[in-house]
Amino acid sequence: MKAKEFYAEHRRLLLGFFSVISLLAAWELLLTYLFPLNPFFFTKPSLIAEAFKEQVRGPKLWHDLAISSRAFLWGFSFAVVIGIPVGLIMGWRRRVEYTLDPFLTALYASPLVAVAPLFIIAFGVGVLGKAALVFLLSVFPFIFNAFAGVKSTDRLLIDVIRSFGGSEKDLYLKVILPSTIPYIVAGARLAVGRGLVGIIVGEFYAASEGIGFAISQAGDTYRLPDMFVGILILSVIAVVLTELMRKLELTLAPWRASEEVRS
Amino acid sequence: MKVKSLYTEHEPFILGTGFIIVLLMAWESIPLWYSLPKGMALFFTTPSKITAAFYELLLNGEIEKHFYISAIAFLAGLGLSIAVGLPAGLIIGRSSTLEALLDPYVTAFNATPRIVLLPLLILWFGIGIWSKIVIVFAGAVFPLLINTYAGVKNVNRVLVNVVRSFGANEWQLMKIVVLPNSLPYIIAGLRLAIGRAILGVVVGEFFGSSQGLGYMIASAATNYKVDVVFVGVAIFMALSVILTFAVKYVESRLASWRPETAKTF
Repeated sequence: MKAKEFYAEHRRLLLGFFSVISLLAAWELLLTYLFPLNPFFFTKPSLIAEAFKEQVRGPKLWHDLAISSRAFLWGFSFAVVIGIPVGLIMGWRRRVEYTLDPFLTALYASPLVAVAPLFIIAFGVGVLGKAALVFLLSVFPFIFNAFAGVKSTDRLLIDVIRSFGGSEKDLYLKVILPSTIPYIVAGARLAVGRGLVGIIVGEFYAASEGIGFAISQAGDTYRLPDMFVGILILSVIAVVLTELMRKLELTLAPWRASEEVRS
Repeated sequence: MKVKSLYTEHEPFILGTGFIIVLLMAWESIPLWYSLPKGMALFFTTPSKITAAFYELLLNGEIEKHFYISAIAFLAGLGLSIAVGLPAGLIIGRSSTLEALLDPYVTAFNATPRIVLLPLLILWFGIGIWSKIVIVFAGAVFPLLINTYAGVKNVNRVLVNVVRSFGANEWQLMKIVVLPNSLPYIIAGLRLAIGRAILGVVVGEFFGSSQGLGYMIASAATNYKVDVVFVGVAIFMALSVILTFAVKYVESRLASWRPETAKTF
């Protein structure tokens, strides 16, 4: 009876766990006993685990991660610092909105990653080129979500501040910014994904270090276990960052929880 | 007086297009008032040169050739992702067991930029159309699946119960209630999927192709033909904007009763 209750309570988690474990087991067993493994074409979990152990011990993986995260953080920080004010002003000043909206919307809708080769060639394979790419890709969610946040600010609150003689600065700091924060965090979640695309594409295109470079190099030299380790690490980072933003979003604005599925 | 009222009436349009025109003119005039150092000049081009390059490439059939290749990869990948993502989303939305079983993979794949799989796909499918189709598919399938799923989850329970009470089976339920109710979500998913699919085409052709618009951009960049790079970028931009707004239009027609809350692409 206890077991049944436990199952009912944690059904989702147990089933998810079960499905991952059985997939890994099936993958390993099939390639060990049923089909001969062609190591240049495919790999199996035990080999990936071995490669993982080796990479974690060595310095190269950590170095690559440090290089990639530096470029990511630079680009992302600039996106925050520039994107949020632009979005706030666009939301608050109607003429600014009219002026910038068509231009920025067109840029946001287009695959800006297409300029990656140009950026890398112009700014170099180092931090600058990749950071510029990350910035370009991740600035738009900040702009447009800050913009949408301002637009949905409660008029009543604005009127109250105005009636009590609050200055323009009060308006921004006490009403607009706070009520925009949940939107900005939602934007940050989108921006993380786009920023990662920037890093990966930049490093695939041309680099001599970094996690994306490690993955593409492992592919070029048919080291499949190493490639899977890189992909796995990147996907863990992506999931952790995304879930972190989602948690933050839920804490800051629980009422918007139902809205998130649309993005 | 007349002019002023005309202005106020069309202010958004005038300011919006005016800004783009001013921006282009400023870009065009940079070489006139500032002589770029040699190193910079290599990466610099102007709108007029880009337009000239566009005409040239259009006349010698280069664009047409690359466009055709890209379009096939785009359509095949997107078609495949609709064929898989839609039914999968419907089924996962209706079965909580399947949902729990597949959730870890959907979450992980959706959070991870699928671009990272490209070296693996090139290894498996070689440099050619197939690795591109698969990367487009991998990019586009998750927004479709997740939005379809969300639509199914959002279906009104009362409607489901009514149809059930009148003896409908699962298939009829799907057709009468679930599918029409999830349609707005599916269209929203399609809009996201188109963006991802174009991204897949671009990046797939950067690395895993010897033809297509993405290849054209990448090879022009390596040869410092900056104007050709911008021609490619502009074509991708135009296509994305047109497709996105076409779907948005359909979306607004279908879902005029659903409030738009945040601008999300």
